[in-house]
Amino acid sequence: MSLSPSAKLQLTDSGELRHFLTVDGLPKTMLERILDTANSFVVVGNQEVKKVPLLRGKTVVNLFFENSTRTRSTFELAAKRLSADVLNLDIKTSATSKGESLLDTLRNLRAMHSDMFVVRHSDSGAPHFIADQVTPNVAIINAGDGRHAHPTQAMLDMLTIHRHKGAFDQLKVAIVGDILHSRVARDQAIALNTLGCQDVRFIGPNTLLPTEAASLGVTTHTNMDQGLQDVDVVIMLRLQTERMDSAFLPSAGEYFNAYGLNRQRLAKAKPDAIVMHPGPINRGIEIESEVADGSQSLILDQVGYGIAIRMAVMSMAMSGQMQQRQSSQQEGN
Amino acid sequence: MSMLIRQARTLDPQHNIDKLQDVLIKDGLIVEISNHIETQAEQIIDASGQLLIPGMTDLLSYLRQPGNSQKGTIASETKAAASAGFTCVAPSPDTQPATDSTAVLELVEDRAAQAGFCDLAPIAALTQGLQSSHLTNMQGLSKAGAIAFSNAGEDINSNTVLLRCYEYAATFGLKIFLQARDADLSNGHMHDGALATQLGLNGIPVMAETLAISRQLQFIEHTGVSAHFQQISSASGVNLIRQAKAQGLPVTADVDLAHLCYTEAQVQGYASQYHVQPPLRGEDDRQALLVALVDGTIDAIVSAHQPHEAAAKCAPFAATELGMAMYDTFVPLLLGLQGQAGLSLNQLIKATTSTPAAIAGQDSNGIMVGNTANLCLINPHQIWTLDEATQQSAGANQSLQGQVLTGRAQLTLHRGKITWQA
Repeated sequence: MSLSPSAKLQLTDSGELRHFLTVDGLPKTMLERILDTANSFVVVGNQEVKKVPLLRGKTVVNLFFENSTRTRSTFELAAKRLSADVLNLDIKTSATSKGESLLDTLRNLRAMHSDMFVVRHSDSGAPHFIADQVTPNVAIINAGDGRHAHPTQAMLDMLTIHRHKGAFDQLKVAIVGDILHSRVARDQAIALNTLGCQDVRFIGPNTLLPTEAASLGVTTHTNMDQGLQDVDVVIMLRLQTERMDSAFLPSAGEYFNAYGLNRQRLAKAKPDAIVMHPGPINRGIEIESEVADGSQSLILDQVGYGIAIRMAVMSMAMSGQMQQRQSSQQEGN
Repeated sequence: MSMLIRQARTLDPQHNIDKLQDVLIKDGLIVEISNHIETQAEQIIDASGQLLIPGMTDLLSYLRQPGNSQKGTIASETKAAASAGFTCVAPSPDTQPATDSTAVLELVEDRAAQAGFCDLAPIAALTQGLQSSHLTNMQGLSKAGAIAFSNAGEDINSNTVLLRCYEYAATFGLKIFLQARDADLSNGHMHDGALATQLGLNGIPVMAETLAISRQLQFIEHTGVSAHFQQISSASGVNLIRQAKAQGLPVTADVDLAHLCYTEAQVQGYASQYHVQPPLRGEDDRQALLVALVDGTIDAIVSAHQPHEAAAKCAPFAATELGMAMYDTFVPLLLGLQGQAGLSLNQLIKATTSTPAAIAGQDSNGIMVGNTANLCLINPHQIWTLDEATQQSAGANQSLQGQVLTGRAQLTLHRGKITWQA
């Protein structure tokens, strides 16, 4: 079987993870290993001493070209629990705004012998570009790029679903809201498909649904009541309020009327359906407080799983990257 | 100087010539053509197995001067054009400053004349600074050599300004070249399809092209200005041109070579070499463009050669600059289209020689006794590798760098002078 370009870039010659850029192209067995590894780290989080020595002596650089305190904090915590040294670089207010190019910034960091970059960038494909052309020997973890991918968020959602619903193959999952601009939605859809889920639905107005969404293995619904019918999982996406300024939507009120999750709407789903949201939530815009804080909501559980998933992919990518370096050194000798 | 080219397959679609001939050139002119010429010439070239065609004319090229000599110079890029068999090039007016005054126009012409590789058929700016608000001195620019007027990639938003551009051009019988794309809808980075969705890149819908063509056709119909549409990219765009021609409107059209060879699939993996405008579209669109060449809806093939320094393409996809360097791969890519959708070699050569020359109002320079010796000799079977040693353009943005290619220009004569020899 020939690998897709993104799979080739992310895997070592022997099929181990060396970068984590998108779930697109990764085999089912790899996603399952990430979930299994993360499951074991959930336990670590509950222990008195929360550290494991897997990344001792390694330097992880959080390269955030776009602000995100929440995501950065969970990556920082994950790296520290793996015993790595962590450097946080808020590039937006640092080098590139002084005219230094992305390329030069990265070359400088490489010269400091970093082992892993956790990258968030507003351009789709930026982590891809870094892994492919700039620093192939530094493990790259994508912490969100443009509207392309946010694979650790998608995998923590998979972990949440897996821990609460078990196997994926019988599940019906609805993803609701601003799919078009969401870096998470396409990774979620791809991960769900890869893990065996047969029924993934995108729900939103036509202005917020991407072109040819079916190519991601989903069906699309503009009517929320119909879309939620009998689903096991409802994933709500955050609505950026600037969407109203660029004619995607008329108003937050009208959006909530058509696509906000309230108790009546949730009743269309299965009685034991779970509700998820990547946070931070806009109460009264995409979700009603009663539902967000209700018994079916797993929104706070997701945060804890986020650290476990990030520990899993960081430790796996670091070990794959080390293997690749060793094998290419041996070839060089 | 005299030169005898022996036994090339001599192909001049305009004059229905396609046979093995000897061609004798003396003092810049073709002086004899026959089955066998018995004469002494200073240079005798055995061209059996090779193809002799009229020098090609390119209706869209970016020569980068003035303003962007880090990407290429008029000298380096006209040399690269000669190495692809071109003897006439129409440079785009989006130089810095724009080619909107006779001073800039003459500078461009002088540089090209000094370099001596190609004739220029310069396209001047339609509005000052391509800013879409003030007309340029079109009559003066035309007298100084501009063959047509274009606003390059800049859409003229105001219908009032656009109408005046057309009316003023009509006054002096001037031609308008159009890169028809709606600015608003072109605010993306690749074709709006499944791959754009997967890669998370903003899509450019086909409507960006069809809306703009439809709009320009209204102005053409109203003013009678003869217009040439550049870089048609979609099946729907082709249909609009076909209808306009059937209606008898004075329009011609071209397609760039990349759109005949490639589709959006090339962008997979964020391949910034294929970041172009208009974007590479689907396979159905590519097929429609090929068919349009066969049936004559599209008249000419252009290079849209856009050389860049390496750094321009070394960034996340959306942050990279637009365009591909095309001259180094032009001949092998062009020859590779033979047979696709029924395209004949004859049609391919016509679309790169006499037809674009006529659109640019240039002498067609066919292979006839008495004509200026603008000729290109191609070895269609030569296998070679594009690398630092063979590359002629200064552009580092070569899509086929390091690849083995088939077919290459062996010799280019511009006004009887050798401007390229492999």
